[in-house]
Amino acid sequence: MKKAIYIFNDGQLKRKDNTLIFIKENEEKRVIPVNAVSEIHVFGELDLNKRVLEFLTSNKIPVYFYNYYGYYIGSYYPRDHLNSGMIILKQAQFYLKKEERMFLAKSFVYGAVANILKNLNYYKKSKEEYIKPFIEEIEEKSKEIDKKEDIPSLMALEGDIRKKYYEAFNVILNIGDFFFDKRTKRPPENPLNALISFGNSLIYTTILSQIYRTHLDPRIGYLHETNHRSFSLNLDLAEIFKPVIVDRVIFSLINKNQIQLKHFEEDIDFAYLNEKGKQIFIRAFEEKLNTTIKYKNLGKVSYRKLIRLECYKLYKHFFGEQIYQPFIANW
Amino acid sequence: MFVILVYDINEKRVQKIHKICKKYLTPVQNSVFEGNITQATLRILKDELKEIMDENEDSVLIYKFRTKKYYDRESIGIKKPSHEDLFL
Repeated sequence: MKKAIYIFNDGQLKRKDNTLIFIKENEEKRVIPVNAVSEIHVFGELDLNKRVLEFLTSNKIPVYFYNYYGYYIGSYYPRDHLNSGMIILKQAQFYLKKEERMFLAKSFVYGAVANILKNLNYYKKSKEEYIKPFIEEIEEKSKEIDKKEDIPSLMALEGDIRKKYYEAFNVILNIGDFFFDKRTKRPPENPLNALISFGNSLIYTTILSQIYRTHLDPRIGYLHETNHRSFSLNLDLAEIFKPVIVDRVIFSLINKNQIQLKHFEEDIDFAYLNEKGKQIFIRAFEEKLNTTIKYKNLGKVSYRKLIRLECYKLYKHFFGEQIYQPFIANW
Repeated sequence: MFVILVYDINEKRVQKIHKICKKYLTPVQNSVFEGNITQATLRILKDELKEIMDENEDSVLIYKFRTKKYYDRESIGIKKPSHEDLFL
């Protein structure tokens, strides 16, 4: 019900009358009903004060900041309101026991690969001869997941598979402006890389928002190393959802010609989306998240909710109620 | 659930009612609000309104739609905010 708000204009975010108000530079005011907001994504230049942060804390609204190029730079993450020492201990326990950690890490990779194959199989219908070799190669590689005995080599294998998968994008995408040579980040070196980077930024924060709604601690991840700096559980879960959400949004935007070269910053080699481009992408991304699918015996579930369900599956795993099985798209 | 809320309130209290509504719904006209809201949150909103309203003088109407399938908003003249706006 609550929705995410994206701020692109420069301006001030204020607390007024116990709700939020956004004042644009041209003095135009917009009231944001505080009870209808789940999270705020900030792309423009925003002024805010401590009073707003306090108010956001009491309403449990996280704020995510992105830099000029649309990269995630950080978040204001309200003090944990769902605080559970129990679950942190469990999470840590599973992290410290090598075989438990490997099991979860492999589950994430397994889920990612299965969803990647689903995507490729979807396009196999129309482009069988081109896409088949990719599918076969990825299937071959995925057999090695089970054999890996430590995290770095598992990560390497996952990277390998993803590289092959990105190469298959050249077959899937119909439009010559968008092609894949190699994955480049910081900065992405062509428009397709820019789309992938931007999409990944968005999925990381979307998952973080969902984790925040559970007792799980995003700081403890399994496939991605837990460290002193960043959240990593959301990166783990993102592996599963990138093919299902981000990549599908990219395919449809490009193949339907909704995103074009004019939506990129020309003067820096089309390496970044411009504001219009970002908005088109976000609109499609939000639409995707709100799409509902029939899921098991739960009736209709949106993709956003599906992410949260994935968190609850981890709960059950940690408490020994049910072994974790990653979400795999079944269509 | 999608709702449209309209009110007629005595001037003395209209400010207070407006302030309450804008915590939950998007103001689209003077005394008209719209937005998505859950059953539970709507109940909280109604309780807050009842605290302030004088039931002999004031009136609040809430139109509820289970889905937005049968809803189409046409606007003429200057553009007013919508609850569907994603970008600010």
